[in-house]
Amino acid sequence: MTATQAPAPPTPAVAEPAGNDGFGRILRAEWTKFHTVRGWLIGLLVGAVLMVFLGVFLANAQIGCQNNGVQETGPACLPKVPIGPGGEAVQDNYYFVRRSLTGDGSITARLTGLATRLQGNSGPAHPVGGPLGPAGQRVTLPWSKGGIMITASTKQGAAYAAMLATGSNGVRMQYNYTGDIAGLPGQVSAAAPRWLRLVRSGDTVTGYDSINGRVWITVGTVTLSQLPRTIQIGLFATSPTFVRVSNFFGGANINASPTTTTAVINDVRLTGSTPLASWTGIDVGGSSQPGPPDIGGYHQAGGAFTVTGAGDIAPLEPGPGSNVPTATISQNLLGAFAALIAFVVVACTFMTSEYRRGLIRTTLAAAPRRGQVLAAKAIVTGLATFAVGLVAVLFCLTLGVAKDRREGLFVLPVSPLAEVRVIVGTAAMLGLMAVLAVCIAAILRRSAITITFGIVAIVLPFLFSVIGVFPASVGDWLLRLAPAAGFAIQQSIPHYAQVASISAPGGGYYPLSPWAGFAVLLVWVAAAYVLALVLLRRRDA
Amino acid sequence: MSHAAATRPARLPGTRGREGGLSFGLDVLRAEWTKLRTVSGPAWLLIATVALTIAVSAAAAAATSCPARTVCPVDTIKLSLTGIQLGQAVVAILAVLMISNEYSTGLIKLTFAAEPRRWAVLAAKALLLTAGVLVAGVLAVGGSVLAGHLILASHGFTTARGFPDLSLTSGVAVRPAVGSVLYLALIALLSLGVAAIIRDSGAAIGIVLGLLYLSPIVVNFVSSTTWQHRIDRYTPTSAGLAIQATKGLKHLPISPWGGLGVLALWAAAALLAGAVTLSLRDA
Amino acid sequence: MQARIECEGLRKRFGTALALDGMSFTVQPGQVTGFVGPNGAGKSTTMRVILGLDSPDEGTALVGGKRYATLRQPMRYLGSLLDAGALQPSRSARNHLLWLAHSQGLGKQRVDEVISQAGLESVARRRAGGFSLGMRQRLGIAAAMLADPAAIMLDEPFNGMDPEGIVWMRGFLKSLAAQGRAVLVSSHLMSELQDTADHLVVVGRGKVIADTTLADLLAKASGASVVVRTGAVADAAAVVERAGGTAAVTGADSLSISGLAAADVAAALSGGGVPFTEVSAHRATLEQAYLELTKDAVEYRPAQYRPAEFGADSEVTR
Repeated sequence: MTATQAPAPPTPAVAEPAGNDGFGRILRAEWTKFHTVRGWLIGLLVGAVLMVFLGVFLANAQIGCQNNGVQETGPACLPKVPIGPGGEAVQDNYYFVRRSLTGDGSITARLTGLATRLQGNSGPAHPVGGPLGPAGQRVTLPWSKGGIMITASTKQGAAYAAMLATGSNGVRMQYNYTGDIAGLPGQVSAAAPRWLRLVRSGDTVTGYDSINGRVWITVGTVTLSQLPRTIQIGLFATSPTFVRVSNFFGGANINASPTTTTAVINDVRLTGSTPLASWTGIDVGGSSQPGPPDIGGYHQAGGAFTVTGAGDIAPLEPGPGSNVPTATISQNLLGAFAALIAFVVVACTFMTSEYRRGLIRTTLAAAPRRGQVLAAKAIVTGLATFAVGLVAVLFCLTLGVAKDRREGLFVLPVSPLAEVRVIVGTAAMLGLMAVLAVCIAAILRRSAITITFGIVAIVLPFLFSVIGVFPASVGDWLLRLAPAAGFAIQQSIPHYAQVASISAPGGGYYPLSPWAGFAVLLVWVAAAYVLALVLLRRRDA
Repeated sequence: MSHAAATRPARLPGTRGREGGLSFGLDVLRAEWTKLRTVSGPAWLLIATVALTIAVSAAAAAATSCPARTVCPVDTIKLSLTGIQLGQAVVAILAVLMISNEYSTGLIKLTFAAEPRRWAVLAAKALLLTAGVLVAGVLAVGGSVLAGHLILASHGFTTARGFPDLSLTSGVAVRPAVGSVLYLALIALLSLGVAAIIRDSGAAIGIVLGLLYLSPIVVNFVSSTTWQHRIDRYTPTSAGLAIQATKGLKHLPISPWGGLGVLALWAAAALLAGAVTLSLRDA
Repeated sequence: MQARIECEGLRKRFGTALALDGMSFTVQPGQVTGFVGPNGAGKSTTMRVILGLDSPDEGTALVGGKRYATLRQPMRYLGSLLDAGALQPSRSARNHLLWLAHSQGLGKQRVDEVISQAGLESVARRRAGGFSLGMRQRLGIAAAMLADPAAIMLDEPFNGMDPEGIVWMRGFLKSLAAQGRAVLVSSHLMSELQDTADHLVVVGRGKVIADTTLADLLAKASGASVVVRTGAVADAAAVVERAGGTAAVTGADSLSISGLAAADVAAALSGGGVPFTEVSAHRATLEQAYLELTKDAVEYRPAQYRPAEFGADSEVTR
């Protein structure tokens, strides 16, 4: 029988397509597989709908506000928030004792004291934490500020540069709200005075400090673009809200109190053309804090001044320290968690269903190069999730921001670049998490365990961090190391070290910067991918 | 075969025979028990529940300390029961797989052929699941409290400083401990009910984990206090875990037993819906 | 394009169980090769190794002279059906074929062609989860034929088929071989292959027991026998033995006689005055030849059926 001559072999039904490389075919096959199971498309849709629902309808709500004693809601509550030279929302409240300066010139002063006192106590009377203390009690406020300043004007949001002493962060040169350069360390006192100097030359301002008035150290030189010829120059003090967060299991208790800071300044010397003969005080922005009016002021005796102010000169960060009802665009994306659960289920099932039914054998018989199958599955799942995620994010932001504004919340402005990063980054993060799920599924092969593993690995670090199971430091490390670090890409308002805000995940802040968090997620995906690849190649199907 | 049939009632004391209609047959319970113990998965999942719960609880206790002369607003009992947050996920897997595995292999057809009263199958599974999870839960919670007792005392949380005695004989820890065991059992029943409705293991476990983990995260991001309050009071985990609190009880959104009651309602509703869908739908 | 399937010294161990123990055979183009052996003989493992799904501990399996895993568009060389149930239940039959077609660079037209060849037009857009086993087999065949392969390999294709389907399948396999393709069909029932296979590879305990043509196998089987039905069994046996045959009593009224032709037996009985109701000649069947060959290789041998033990005592009481 072996010698039987077979008839002419049949011509193949389809000629070998030229130029169509193997991977393109497998990618197409996996995409066909994905979109022909309605349950998976529904799963993606459910995730997107949940994301929009939670993000838009649950995320932000403003109860209302008091305007001249009248209870108001909605846009009437929209606060007026100054915008700094960089386009970011800022806080700009301080007491300023100034003169005007035309053309180039300088100011030099000696600072001999900086004292901060509580103005009152607010916050719930919670058994955990307790009250802060009586009004007038002295406290150390790390970022209380007092010193000398050159500013374009006394309008809020104006360009400025300042040399200042802080409660516990030493001497700094700060400019245009976000700039911060460290100068001499240590607390200022009568025994340890600090000499500060600012020199204006055209658009550039240089800051110096000194411990004796003779040896000067350059702290920094900054350019304040389009500084008018006549500017304001003088002494200032300001004092952020004192906030104490008491973490306890299941939440955090926040006690806050307005404060005032008094700077003692003497030996003030000016050079240059200063047309105004005498000093005048101005409460820039008024006191932003509730409490007794006119808490700002100054006292002059010859060349010696005491300046008392309240408020802050800093970028506005959302959270309990902020006195303005704000919202961030990222807050509208909280539904990403819910979406993620649906996306992880779809991604896992896309892989595990093959194992459950033995379909993986058909797949690998059709595409024996197993690496290509894994790559195609990862790409199809990742891109599909990315696309659906992107649409959901755009819905969340357009609907959410409009709703925030209707409710009278000030939506903190972000640069277009940051906005694109938040939008595309969130979608990409969701896509990567789906790829991670596919890889875990290829490793574990059982859907229930895979999905639990995927969701728990992503969600639990977050949960432990936000509900304060672990001390903040441990919680932060969990969020640095877990795949959940990728959520950092959603952070829209940068956190500045010189701002005393509570930068917790609940407020949209993450322990890692956006791209670093994203990189951590990428590392997870890469590691899981490699392990999945090795196992898929090595194991019998 | 008539010989065999005649011997049957005699073998099962306590049942009144097959004609009893709604009487809950011990044989379906026995069949489910045989099914459960003859595969290794459920036993491993229960062991994992105990191990992971204790491990996370001990880690939480080890990471927390109260230095001298500071105020530490820590609910030490709740802290030492942290592992329940992870243990519940393993319990949920166990519960979901008890049903969805049968659907994915087609075994469910045989199960329903052997016991046509489908609610009885679900009830038998629920009973066995509850028993298994209660045993695992007692071990998990006991181990967690013991770990907390041993670790926290050396981290500054001493009775001399007003922290409660974590030994179970002291009384303070009894309600949270017993409640946590019941919590795990109720989470298992809730998951079982969801699995009976959804059948597919992937979708079922996704929904269960969403129910378990979404609410405590969302509540941290929602700024509306009305919604915070609603989520805290009416979602399974947020309400159910109120049973663990021993501090600030007056400020809890829901009372400890009330919260566990909310979870029990969730579980009962899921089981009921599961029994109805099992009975109405083709296997 | 022609493609032989060549297995050479395949060895594979799963834990302590030796699944393949030096499996070697060749599937030639232009004929149907039956791959038979009892359950657990290693047929499915061999097929998985041929497809590159399982890697052998030793040995090689080649399709058209190459390892399957190195082929581009492998389904043009070898179409296969391992498990007809390996389907995503919620995907329609047509979409199942469509993704497979895409993986081989084929389009919708080819899918529709194989659907009509397999007679699945009316159900092609229904979810595959609702298919009967027979329909799944047809869908699996359609998938195997999708890329018009030079060789085709089917694992137990007769399972779950109705008689009409079995007839169709036999004709189909023969026509594939007639077109010059190599066809490998596994079965644990020789009868399914009796009228289909040109060549047989009989396996047991992971190795080839016989690699032969159908005719050779039959010739090797023990010779013909004559069955006699009679009321006088002892007399008949005595008469036959005297005539030079060997008689074995097979029942209360039947004898099996070897060494004599049917006519001789009838003559001897008539001559001896022994009444009989039937004398019939029996050729050895393929099934008997097969059972003979594999009797040592059966892995799971059922205990002898003893009706009395069912029911009353051992099973029910504890």
